[in-house]
Amino acid sequence: MEKAKKKRFGIILTLLSMIFFFGSIALLAVFSANSQDTTDTLERVKNSHRMVWGVKADTKLFGLMNTKTGQIEGFDVDIAKAVTQQIADDLNITIDPVFTQVTSSTRIQLLKNGNIDAFAATATITPEREKIIDFSNSYFDAGQSLLVKKGSDIKSVADLNKKGKTVLGVVGSNSVVNIKKYAPKAKVLGLSDYAQAMTALRAGQGDALTTDNGILYGMATENKGYVVVGGTFTTEPYGLAFDNNQGPIVRAANKALKEITASGKYNKIVKKWFDGVPGINWEDLKR
Amino acid sequence: MIEILTKYFATFADGFLITLESSIIALIGSLVLGTLFAVLQLVPNKFVNRLAQAYVEIFRNIPLLVITLFFFAFVAPLVTHLGIAMDGFTAGTIGLTLYTSSFIAEVIRASINAIPKGQMEAGRTNGMTWWQTMRLIILPQAFKMSIPSLGNQFINLVKNSSVLAFVAGMDLMYQANNIAQSTFDSMGTYMVVALFYLVITLPLSYGMKYIEYRSNRGGNA
Amino acid sequence: MTEKMIQFQNVEKYYGDFHALKDINIDINAGETVVLIGPSGSGKSTLIRTINGLEDINSGKLIVDGYDLASPQTDINKIRKNVGMVFQHFNLYENKSTLENIMLAPRIVLKRDEKENHDIAMSLLEKVGLADKSANMPSELSGGQKQRVAIARSLAMQPKALLFDEPTSALDPEMIGDVLDVMRDIAKDSNMTMLVVTHEMNFAKAVADRVVFMADGQILEDSKTEDFFKKPKSERAQQFISQIEHH
Repeated sequence: MEKAKKKRFGIILTLLSMIFFFGSIALLAVFSANSQDTTDTLERVKNSHRMVWGVKADTKLFGLMNTKTGQIEGFDVDIAKAVTQQIADDLNITIDPVFTQVTSSTRIQLLKNGNIDAFAATATITPEREKIIDFSNSYFDAGQSLLVKKGSDIKSVADLNKKGKTVLGVVGSNSVVNIKKYAPKAKVLGLSDYAQAMTALRAGQGDALTTDNGILYGMATENKGYVVVGGTFTTEPYGLAFDNNQGPIVRAANKALKEITASGKYNKIVKKWFDGVPGINWEDLKR
Repeated sequence: MIEILTKYFATFADGFLITLESSIIALIGSLVLGTLFAVLQLVPNKFVNRLAQAYVEIFRNIPLLVITLFFFAFVAPLVTHLGIAMDGFTAGTIGLTLYTSSFIAEVIRASINAIPKGQMEAGRTNGMTWWQTMRLIILPQAFKMSIPSLGNQFINLVKNSSVLAFVAGMDLMYQANNIAQSTFDSMGTYMVVALFYLVITLPLSYGMKYIEYRSNRGGNA
Repeated sequence: MTEKMIQFQNVEKYYGDFHALKDINIDINAGETVVLIGPSGSGKSTLIRTINGLEDINSGKLIVDGYDLASPQTDINKIRKNVGMVFQHFNLYENKSTLENIMLAPRIVLKRDEKENHDIAMSLLEKVGLADKSANMPSELSGGQKQRVAIARSLAMQPKALLFDEPTSALDPEMIGDVLDVMRDIAKDSNMTMLVVTHEMNFAKAVADRVVFMADGQILEDSKTEDFFKKPKSERAQQFISQIEHH
């Protein structure tokens, strides 16, 4: 009698605490979503005279930590710098760009929490993602391609569309979603980052590594014995990302992008990073 | 959150089954290995004791992720020549089993040490061998004593199975990462994932409590 | 003809620097009942525990049931099959019922037929007066009952010799009588060799053929029971007896 009562009480208590837990999280989510609408990123940047950018630190050519200087360097970083400068010039104030390292799994939350004002982190613009965040216009048009071991029988994406073939990528990346359309018969494995994916390719866990060509060329220069094959089979427009409903700063960024393209600054940055990379003709990337 | 759950239910369900499968294999495997290495640490043979201790210390003190990556990236190419496919699921489940077994070995060893020495002496003077006494007298009592700690280990095991995600083991966490990255709705996705984990861990937790209650009441092991 | 069941020849035992057994020499004949007494810390328990190999000896010779314990060829389990032991703290298998405590070793070690095993176990439980407790777990028994089950457990192996290591020291006074009664019955069996470490002088007087007195790891006296209690030879033994009896 006593025991049965106690047991029932325990179960009810557990259920109540679970409801409380999830309820409070849901409330928090709603509350924070609403509260974020009230903070205007552009206002914040104007007032603080700082613009905090999330950039990758593990992706050659786009955002890579220079272990000697401790600075993150790459195409994304330089574009972010140029855009920040242009916005500052347009507003006639000074804004210092600040860079902080993000990964694919942290960048959204950092943006939502207001830890960063924006990110330039090889993010492809997709309609689904647009529901959660705002993208600027494309600042780089990548295309998906394949990295294979030299001498591999994989010459193009068509060679992967067979049972028993395994393609490696980075978890949740747009290229992993795309490859399922182009090679539906292949098995697709998403690793946590590019270093992991490369390790898996070396360990023979897959036949090819797929992601955007710019990143693959960067990896090929680092890993002798691996080559990019088959050209590009998709277009991946990279966008600068801002929190949802941040019209003012998105418009300011789009304007800035247009202006640095017109001034030739954009092409300078393209030349700086892609001139001399084997497999890429930087002239093709000029705007 | 509801939208994520309904839209990607099939994906979550796939991941859930993989997580469940990996957890069950690792649970059984780590219980067997853990018990074995607990006993091997105590057999009357110094050399075997040292080997078993080394096993426990190595796997207990290396991050699970490193053990898993070792099998995924280093062992895999070695065994593919032998026709064994060491994919993310296999590497992750092996890592999970070895890692958890080292903790279970410590739990069971502590319980065996807590059994009065007289139990072993009684068995030995009764004519039974060390192994017979260990198996029939000591271990049943040690298991009973270990139930609460084993419950903790099993719950940790289920949660630790998310290591499969790092090596594309197709588990719940892997599918969640996929969904979170491609939709960018990480809050909603990981709340759904929390629910799916609770579906495994809550019954497990209650199950262990029930076994504990039964074994205290019944007494007969 | 008297066959020697246990022989100690110049046995020495150390725990690190501590000299626990000093030049031990005794013979115990088959069928004999010997009581071992002495102040605590005198080495009685150590001595009795060397007989079935629970403690190693450092030098000298110890022969039990014809086997040399120091010899690496000796299978200690063969000796233990024939030499039972009853402990101060009973050491019943806590995870087994009373009946299973008694039946386990004969089943595993002697491969005794299950029905025969059960019959023997039940008759032993009757002998120690606990037939109605066959299904109980050790935790449900009193100390005296536990010790009687432990004796039945040893007897189930049908040993040639039984070692008792202070079998009544952990018992409440009102429990001691029942246990001693059971031991008295066993001693009557002329084939059973018994070595008993105890402080129960009345039991020794009534049952023992010989009394061995130990102090500081040495055997100071080894006499017929009558002689020992009439006039102990050593002063230590005299002191010890008067202390115990005036207690």
